[in-house]
Amino acid sequence: MPASPKHSLFSPRRVLALAHNTLLELVRLKVFYFLLLFAFLVIGSSIFTVKFSFQNPLQVLKDIGLGAMSIFSWLLGLLCTAGLLPKDQEDRTLYTILAKPVSRFEYLLGKLSGVFFLLTLAVVLMSVVFAGVLGLREQQEIAAAVQNTPPESLAQEIESIRSAAFQANLLPGILLILLKSLLCSTLTLLLSTIASSSVFTILSSVVIYLIGHVQGIAREAWLGGGETTAVLKVLSASVALVFPDLQLFNVVDEIAVGTALPMALFWQVGGLGLFYILIYFLLAQVVFASREL
Amino acid sequence: MSISAISIQNLSKEFHVPFRREPLRAVKNLSLEVPAGEVYGLLGPNGSGKSTTMKILLGLVSPSAGSSFLFNVNSRHVESRESVGFLPENPYFYKYLTGLETLLFFGKLCGLRGKTLQDKARLMLQTVGLADAADRRLGGYSKGMLQRIGLAQALIGEPRLLVLDEPTAGVDPAGSHEIRDLILQFKAQGITVLLCSHMLNQVQEICDRIGVMNRGELVAEGRLDELLSSPNQTELVLENASPSLLETCARLAAESGARVVENRKPHADLERFFLKITRQKP
Ligand SMILES: Nc1ncnc2c1ncn2[C@@H]1O[C@H](COP(=O)(O)OP(=O)(O)OP(=O)(O)O)[C@@H](O)[C@H]1O
Ligand SMILES: [Mg+2]
Repeated sequence: MPASPKHSLFSPRRVLALAHNTLLELVRLKVFYFLLLFAFLVIGSSIFTVKFSFQNPLQVLKDIGLGAMSIFSWLLGLLCTAGLLPKDQEDRTLYTILAKPVSRFEYLLGKLSGVFFLLTLAVVLMSVVFAGVLGLREQQEIAAAVQNTPPESLAQEIESIRSAAFQANLLPGILLILLKSLLCSTLTLLLSTIASSSVFTILSSVVIYLIGHVQGIAREAWLGGGETTAVLKVLSASVALVFPDLQLFNVVDEIAVGTALPMALFWQVGGLGLFYILIYFLLAQVVFASREL
Repeated sequence: MSISAISIQNLSKEFHVPFRREPLRAVKNLSLEVPAGEVYGLLGPNGSGKSTTMKILLGLVSPSAGSSFLFNVNSRHVESRESVGFLPENPYFYKYLTGLETLLFFGKLCGLRGKTLQDKARLMLQTVGLADAADRRLGGYSKGMLQRIGLAQALIGEPRLLVLDEPTAGVDPAGSHEIRDLILQFKAQGITVLLCSHMLNQVQEICDRIGVMNRGELVAEGRLDELLSSPNQTELVLENASPSLLETCARLAAESGARVVENRKPHADLERFFLKITRQKP
């Protein structure tokens, strides 16, 4: 019997086709309207912060903008990812796709890559809106300073306004915001391979998100005091696998104040994020590969 | 030696149903061979395990016992799907894609690209009669149109084997006739077809061999002509026969030791009638 037709075990082209399709699905579902909310929020608070005189309005605006970006990208990733597998299964499109020479690994990778593209696009769009609003406010503040500040301290005043506005040192922080949302959607994908309903997926993902934000503090309080035994260490490591320390990604607070993010910290947190994404994706693949469709 | 397009050996599938102790046995010890080039019809009442068998063949469901091979490659392996086109029952695709986009997507999954892909997709749309609806989103397609796009999607990778789960469900009689003709055309091209349908008269028209499943078991199998012919009977259709002629016939038959089993008026079947009526419409 002659050999069977040649088949490449992994084809980037197939993954790309799946990713493109997923992106198209999400875009045509009009998920981007969701981002209009972000624009309204940032522009609205830009108008609102004029009334704060005791604090630098640009500072406040930056806080709100980065915080909103973090929450919006997380929520977008969560809502988009949770529905992907259940929908394909309900519609039986999963059958048609997997009946083609497509491995389950390629399918899952394609789906996740589609979400990753979408989130990257969303974060870029949000950053553009954010930078635009901040820039506009910067101009207004400088104009006001020129009128109200005595000439001898004008240069210094303008300098302090400039440093509070959108600067290149925000970019690593924004990248970490993106990474956090990617991590959370990979986690959501893993949960959706286990769960049978998307409501459960969303709820459990939200719970893990919330716990992930407080777990660092809890661990500190729990382990920080007494001596640590090996058992406790293993225990806390396994807790950390299920509940990633998401607080690590919130370097936003520090950057917003104007201090630049230390590059060493950026790479450390970035590496950790990628590691989590890899682990979650491999787990998702293991579950999905053995799953009855 | 001819190759088996499909080879199923002692296949069983049990589903574990929640809140029930004993598992549901959807397929029981099924063995089946379909040589390349044959059109095989899988028949059986609802819930007899036909679709489950097909899903196992395509690696969508894993068997509890036994194994299945497509062109000698185990269905568990992804490469077994290189040469197969599958139309699932009640196919449903991405609503937000147009007919053409759907075929381009599935074509890419089959490894096609560039101009070959474009041409192939257009050709397939024409083949299944959807050229006019190419740029409409599938959300607006009717059930029969979805069935057609499903067939086009199964064909796009130029498969050597087609697995069709109720290809004519929901398709109007004219379309159902077209699909029948398509299948006969595939057969002429040497494509093997595994078909499952409740339209028995159609199965009768196109299948070389059939297998009948009941409660997960293969209860009958064989060539259609062998299964259906009654070698000791002959049908005679007369026109303008007077009652006296019929009487004479019956008497002659009785004299030679034969027997008239039945005496009835043949009538055009509903399908032919329907086709005649709908063809007159512009
Ligand atoms: N995923 C599943 N989980 C549990 N039971 C299942 C599953 N899929 C099929 N079954 C059961 O297996 C049996 C066979 O189903 P199958 O779909 O193969 O029947 P079928 O012959 O295709 O019927 P139909 O003519 O109605 O399409 C049925 O009793 C069905 O309820
Ligand atoms: Mg069925």
